[in-house]
Amino acid sequence: MLVLQNVTKRYKDFTAVQSLNFSISPGEIFGLIGQNGAGKTTTFRMILDLQETTEGSIMWDGASIKGVNRDLLGYLPEERGIFPQMKVEEQLIYFGQLRGMSKAECKKEADYWIERFELGEKRNDKAETLSKGNQQKVQLIASFIHKPKFLILDEPFSGLDPVNKDLLKNAILLLKEQGMTILFSSHQMDNVEELCDHLCLLKRGVSLFSGSLLDLKKQYGKTKLTVRTQLTKEALAKLEGVKSVKEERDQYVLTLESEQYAEGIFDVVSNGTYIEKFSLDYLSLDEIFKDKVGGNHV
Amino acid sequence: MSKFLILLKENYKQKLKAKSFIVTTVLYILGITVFFFWSDIKEALFAEQPDEIIYVNTTSFDVGSMLEDGDIVWTQFASTSDAEQALKSEEYDAAIVFSAENSTLAVNLLSLDPLPLMMQQELSANANTIGQFYAMDQLNLTPEQSAQLVNAAPQISMKTLNEAASDGKSEEQKSAGMIVSYIAGFLVYIFVISFLSIVTSDVASEKGSRALEMLLVSVKAETHFKAKVTSIFLVALSQFALLFGTLFVLLKITDGGAKWAMVSEILAELHGQYLLYVAAFLLITIFLFLIIGALLGSLVSKPEEASQAMMPAMILVIIAFFIMVTATSNPDTLLVKIGSYVPFTAGMVMPMRIGATDIGALEPLISLAILAASTFVMYLVSLSFYKRSVLTYSTGGLIQKIKTVLKVTT
Repeated sequence: MLVLQNVTKRYKDFTAVQSLNFSISPGEIFGLIGQNGAGKTTTFRMILDLQETTEGSIMWDGASIKGVNRDLLGYLPEERGIFPQMKVEEQLIYFGQLRGMSKAECKKEADYWIERFELGEKRNDKAETLSKGNQQKVQLIASFIHKPKFLILDEPFSGLDPVNKDLLKNAILLLKEQGMTILFSSHQMDNVEELCDHLCLLKRGVSLFSGSLLDLKKQYGKTKLTVRTQLTKEALAKLEGVKSVKEERDQYVLTLESEQYAEGIFDVVSNGTYIEKFSLDYLSLDEIFKDKVGGNHV
Repeated sequence: MSKFLILLKENYKQKLKAKSFIVTTVLYILGITVFFFWSDIKEALFAEQPDEIIYVNTTSFDVGSMLEDGDIVWTQFASTSDAEQALKSEEYDAAIVFSAENSTLAVNLLSLDPLPLMMQQELSANANTIGQFYAMDQLNLTPEQSAQLVNAAPQISMKTLNEAASDGKSEEQKSAGMIVSYIAGFLVYIFVISFLSIVTSDVASEKGSRALEMLLVSVKAETHFKAKVTSIFLVALSQFALLFGTLFVLLKITDGGAKWAMVSEILAELHGQYLLYVAAFLLITIFLFLIIGALLGSLVSKPEEASQAMMPAMILVIIAFFIMVTATSNPDTLLVKIGSYVPFTAGMVMPMRIGATDIGALEPLISLAILAASTFVMYLVSLSFYKRSVLTYSTGGLIQKIKTVLKVTT
């Protein structure tokens, strides 16, 4: 289990991370989200002991992370971190050996993941000749080839097309099934929503929320109402409890002040007749993220 | 296998396989081979006709028997006008006219076009020698007296009154020392420049491509630093071995071993201790600059900035080289003496002083100790700084980058 307590990183007059607290249970996927410069990479580096903390503690299974065998950790940096001149298979074997694996073990694992990520034809190609997506796949394999207990993925989906994104998502879920604890960041909130059980939302180094995704959504309540109706946008906007109305193709998406107004709106919209669509939902993580980091929450 | 050894092995392997290493090694070997076989190559490719020179002798002295053959074919003409006529027909390269003038020999050089420098010098040397013999002939000296004048070079012997410094080197020993020192200094210069560039670019490229972040999760920055410097040092040694191996083989096989005999003669003039000093200065200096190169490489954010970052170290190497070059004309100047103690220049300058001057036994030891201690201190400082700089990305010049590293890591 990873526990961050009151973790702070200061550079003279600039605070990159301020009193950060969260914990990740074994076998859990945890999302660290925030805009660029929110302090995600700094947090990752402190966890990986690549940077010192100014204050606070980072513990792994009850002991300071500093004393933990580095081979238990895996890391995928945000930018491409592979050797351009090395061949794909060579590269994976090299990273595996650096993590204490024998050459034979590395070869076996590399073979499995190369095939799984559909890189079979590229195994003897130099990394610099691969597409951005394939480079990302190679780098990802390199980060977990040694089967770490704890894996950090910084923007793992960047540069991937939808098909490869699915491939990667499935791989991450498989790693989770195998018991790996995963901490990851992404700007693509749909991925976070799909994969994470818990998350921490950072803004300028300060945690705006830390907990389960459901708890975060509950904070906002079911205030997103989607309706398909004969009423006009203007008429919907005048209804009690409606904060805003957005037209989306043949339907309207209403943001309510609170969930309790939904029933009254339903009465007006249906007016006792057939209604094609009336759906009350939680806000999506993307919407919450925009509201949180776009608003004055810090 | 330890992580240090895995890094070392992989980096060494990658560097040996790199096109740049293969190309430079082949070029060096090619250069050495061309140098050794130059006379054969020249003969095969640019077979030169010997120079055709006319001589006209209007004196009673036998000039013809004294003309040196070498690459010149001499043809005697009866008169200057005949010689001029022949030159105009472009059958001959030049003409040399000997005439008597107040008991001395007057020599006129004639040619259709201005003569090349080498031919001018060769003809002048011939004329000078003949002029001396002509003068002796005019004095009606006996053969014994003539021989005495020819062998009139003084017998020079040296005696040092200070007993502590009485085992001074002979001129031959100093000359041999200077030749070997110049070659050693030139080697240091070439190797430091090329391997400084390799290590700086290598670290900069790993840092720029973020591969370093992946590595530093599994190995400590200091392990990476040590493996990087050591592996490139081993690459340098491998290149040394290849070049010296080639050199040795060529010396042994060319001219029936005559060149090897010449080199052995030069080496015999030198003390074994001197060669040990040269090797120690050479290796420690390369190691020192590799440390500096790795440190400078860790400061840049993009591989393109590597050449700019290594500039200060390059300037130090160039300064050292120029001090060494000045020492070839006078190895006893104050500049050379100071340069032989400064760690960044000592590797090239001190071997020159050891070889070409009567330096005391203690001075090279002090210089070597300063160099070794500085290298060790530089290693510790670089190691500490490398840990902080290698994951810090910043813009601006070198000073700005150092300031940023200090700002974000202290």
